[in-house]
Amino acid sequence: MTQDPVEPQQPTFDGPPLSLEEELAAARAEPEPGPSIETVNESLKDGLNRCPKCGSTDVRLRGSTGMLVCLFCRNEWQEARVEEEFGLGEGIDQLEGTVIASGAEDIAADAADQVTFKCEACGAEVVVDTAHALNARCHWCRHTLNVNQQIPNGAVPDAVLPFRLTKEEAVEKIRAFASKRRLFAHKRFKREFVPENVLGVYLPYLVIDARAETQYWGKGEVQTRRWTEKQGDKQVTYYAADVYQVQRQVAFTVDDLTVEASSERADFGTKNTNNIINTILPFDTKNAVKWNASYLVGFTSEKRDLNVEALTPVLEDQGLSIGRSQVRGSLGRFDRGVRWEQEKIEIGGSRWVSMYLPVWLYSYRQESNGLLHYIAVNARTGETMGSIPVSQPKLLLAAFTVGTFLEGIAGAILVASA
Amino acid sequence: MTIEIIQALVHVASGVVRAASDDDGGGVLWLLAIGPAGGAATYWAIYRYYRNTDKSHEFERDTIIEAQPVQGGEDRVDHISRTRDSGIKGDNGGDYRKRVQRVR
Repeated sequence: MTQDPVEPQQPTFDGPPLSLEEELAAARAEPEPGPSIETVNESLKDGLNRCPKCGSTDVRLRGSTGMLVCLFCRNEWQEARVEEEFGLGEGIDQLEGTVIASGAEDIAADAADQVTFKCEACGAEVVVDTAHALNARCHWCRHTLNVNQQIPNGAVPDAVLPFRLTKEEAVEKIRAFASKRRLFAHKRFKREFVPENVLGVYLPYLVIDARAETQYWGKGEVQTRRWTEKQGDKQVTYYAADVYQVQRQVAFTVDDLTVEASSERADFGTKNTNNIINTILPFDTKNAVKWNASYLVGFTSEKRDLNVEALTPVLEDQGLSIGRSQVRGSLGRFDRGVRWEQEKIEIGGSRWVSMYLPVWLYSYRQESNGLLHYIAVNARTGETMGSIPVSQPKLLLAAFTVGTFLEGIAGAILVASA
Repeated sequence: MTIEIIQALVHVASGVVRAASDDDGGGVLWLLAIGPAGGAATYWAIYRYYRNTDKSHEFERDTIIEAQPVQGGEDRVDHISRTRDSGIKGDNGGDYRKRVQRVR
C-alpha cells in the first residue's frame, strides 16, 4: 500500500464556457446512444432451432452436460460462449462510457407481452406469452416454437447459462436443506412439503463489467494509552487516543457483477424472501452461451423489466461497498476503528449484458401470513438456500424453556451466595 | 459437559454477585437478566437458522475484482485524553454496505 499525501483536487480545464444558446441546446438534446454489442443469433431468425447435423427441430437441453441434444440423430452441441464470442472478459480496465449489449437495451414501454408466431411446420398461428415463457407448442402439430429474435419488449436476453443440475439432484438438495430444519418447522409446511414440485426457472440478470474509482473520507482513532482507576471499589478503564482525518481511494475493475433485472426479484424488502434467491449467486457466468431458446424447453422463465438506467444506482452502491472492502486492509493502524463519513464513486466505464441464469425453485405460500417462502438451488454450483416457515408456538416454547433454565441457574447462584 | 458449563457460570456469576452486593445491586440485576436474554437469543438464533432473513450474496468477496494499490493519507486532527469508550463512535470500517454521505 502506498500512503500518498492527499492533494487538493484541481478542476479540469474543459475549454471556454458555452454560450447560453449552446447550453440550452445541450440540455434539450437526446442522450447519445452508447456503443453496443450486437448479440442477435442470426442463425435462429426463422424461429426454428435446427440440429446443425441433420436439420431436425426436435432439440432439447441435456441437463447433465449442459449441451443441446437432437432427439432424432443424438447429435450434441452447444452455442458459442459469449465470453469469447463478444470478448466480454477483456479490456475491462479500458472501458469507457456505458456499453450495452443488444439484449440488455431498454425495454420498449409499448411492446406487448403476447407475441404471435406462425408455425413454420404447419402454418398455424401460435401465441407466446413472453412474460412467462419464451417458447410454446403448436396446438396442431406439436412443433415447439421459440422466441429467438430479440423482440423489442426486452424478453430475449443476450446469453443463457444452461442448467447443469438435474431435477433429481435439486430435489435431493432441497430435501436435505429442509430435513435439517424439521424440528421447529410449521406443522402445515411439514405436511405439505413436496420437494418434487420444484420448478426449473431461468431468472433474468444483468451481468456487468465495470471500471470504477472510489474515495472515502472519515475519522480514525489510534489508542495512545490505556489505564485503570479505582473509583470506590470499582476499577474503571480509561483510554487516550489520537484522532486522524483519514482519506482513502482505490481504483478497481469488477468482472461479471450480477444483479437482478426483474423488479419483483430486485426488491429485498422484509415482506418477501427474495434475499434467498440472491444468496445463491454467484453463477459461473463465464460459461454462458449465445442465446438459443432451445435451452429453455421444459423450463419456465421470468422476463426482465428493469433497464440499465434503473440499475445504475445498484452498480454504484455495490461499487462503493466493494471499494470499502478493498480499503479495509489499509486501516490496520487505527486500532480503535474508523468511521467513514463521506464517499464518492466514479464509474469510468461499464458493460452490460442481459443473461438468463438457471435456478431450481421450490416455493411455498404460508397461509397464515401470505408469505411466499423459497428454497432455491443454484443449478450450476448446487448452492442451496431457503426460508422455512417456523412454528411460532414451538419457537416461543423453546425460548421460554431456555430462559427459565438460565433463570433457574441465576436464582440458585443468588441463593448460594446470599 | 453441561455440568462443567454450569459450574463455570456459577463461578463467574458468584464473583459478579460478590462485587455487586456492596454497591447498587447492578450485578444482581445483570444476573436476573440472564433468563430473558438467553430466551430472546434462543428465539433469534433458531428463527434465523430457519428463515435466513440476514443472508445475501457477498459480491464484495465472491466477484472477480482487480484493484489497484490503495492510496490515501491521514492527518492527526485531535487528541482524546480521557474516555471510557474502548472504540471510535459509529465504527463502520467493516460495515461495507452501510451508506454514508455521497459526494457527487
